Amino acid sequence: MTRKILLVLSLLVSSVHAESGSRLIASGGITGFEGVAGGGLTPWAFIGGYASKEEVSYSANIQYLNLNDYALSTAGVSVGIFDRVELSVQRQKLDISSGLTSNVFALLTDGAITNANAATIEQDIFAAKIKVLGDGVFAQDSWLPQVSVGAQYKKNRDFNTSLLLPDGSAPLPNTGVPKLLGAADDSGIDVYVSATKLWLGIPHGFNLVTNLTARYTKANTFGLLGFGSATDDSAALEWEGSLALLISPTTAIGTEFRTQSNRLGGLAEENTAVDAFIAYFPNKSVSITAAYVDVGNLPLQEDSSGFYLTLNANF
Amino acid sequence: MIIFRSLCTTLFLAFTLLIAGCASTNEQSLYDEIGGHDTLNTIYGVAINRIYSDPTIGHYFKGVPKRHLREQLVAQTCDLIGGPCEYDGKTMLESHKGLNIEERDFYILVEYVQGAMRDVGLTYQQENKILQKLAPIKTQTVYL
Repeated sequence: MTRKILLVLSLLVSSVHAESGSRLIASGGITGFEGVAGGGLTPWAFIGGYASKEEVSYSANIQYLNLNDYALSTAGVSVGIFDRVELSVQRQKLDISSGLTSNVFALLTDGAITNANAATIEQDIFAAKIKVLGDGVFAQDSWLPQVSVGAQYKKNRDFNTSLLLPDGSAPLPNTGVPKLLGAADDSGIDVYVSATKLWLGIPHGFNLVTNLTARYTKANTFGLLGFGSATDDSAALEWEGSLALLISPTTAIGTEFRTQSNRLGGLAEENTAVDAFIAYFPNKSVSITAAYVDVGNLPLQEDSSGFYLTLNANF
Repeated sequence: MIIFRSLCTTLFLAFTLLIAGCASTNEQSLYDEIGGHDTLNTIYGVAINRIYSDPTIGHYFKGVPKRHLREQLVAQTCDLIGGPCEYDGKTMLESHKGLNIEERDFYILVEYVQGAMRDVGLTYQQENKILQKLAPIKTQTVYL
């Protein structure tokens, strides 16, 4: 992890003078944990990076969220094309402590097995976003937001990866954590509509970004726990929102929420995720965001909350 | 983490109240607050010098006397931010027609004006309030 961060930092330093597009600073938001530009938790209608109608720009990100017995590391790249289209690829890796997997077996076997290896769940997200109307930054004479639609193809890579015991044996062959918890599929497509607006000079001379996103999805815990369930294989409408206040030309603070359906129930019950963040944009090449995130229940960990850090580089 | 959840909710409400609070009117105009004509004149003097020597957008202003552009911009901004001016120059649409100005060019210009406001000593809040008034000019200048 440390080596990865150092690598990204050296990339950032060497790219400070690179062309990263001519749109105004911070108007591309940051890259969220699913690889899509916006807040950390939800996509915005803004196209990532700083490319204007005539430009193409690239972004890379690395992110880390610590949730005690769980930890989510994620990294990816994206391209913003003519301030119209955003394409991204993101790899997520959810680490699950051995303490937690041991408890899973203890529960399943009534205490006969009490020791299991740590596990990971990986997921890939291929996403596309298209701006359909509005200019969320410069149409300051109108209430109309900028509106984009997007799709995220999510593929869980560990749907069938069995949990292992310290001796290397797999008591539940061909059964990954998502499957074990009752998920029906290893992949799914989220579609969403985002409406985003920057209010220049509001409130009291500061700038505010408001965003509302509606998402149609079958994902359990963002897809990390698979898609659908035996009893409920239909997609549901979820709501996501962000408020970000630019308190200086380089600093934004804000808060977000994201609702989730509770398809799997039981251990995998899902709650609305919330966060509060501070993002720093020293220049157009780099941004650093720190947040406190609360995703509510994760299997065998009722209060899953912790610190989140993300580094973005724009080229 | 009930406390954190209620904190986030409170933040959402606080932001909403802040927006609502903006409806309150200030008796002093933004124009007077920043120091009127003299301040605007300095801002555009600084910005125009940089714009004219910019390798990407400088060429658009060939043959336009600096003084003329400066007077036009000062008058227009004065008019937009509550000053005692009537902008009577050519409309933005007319003066940019046929130039095929790119979005990128417009953003570069905005950054020069932003930078000049900062260098002249305007606060971040004053800068944003002025930008809010100038922003709709984008549709009257780009790709005509």
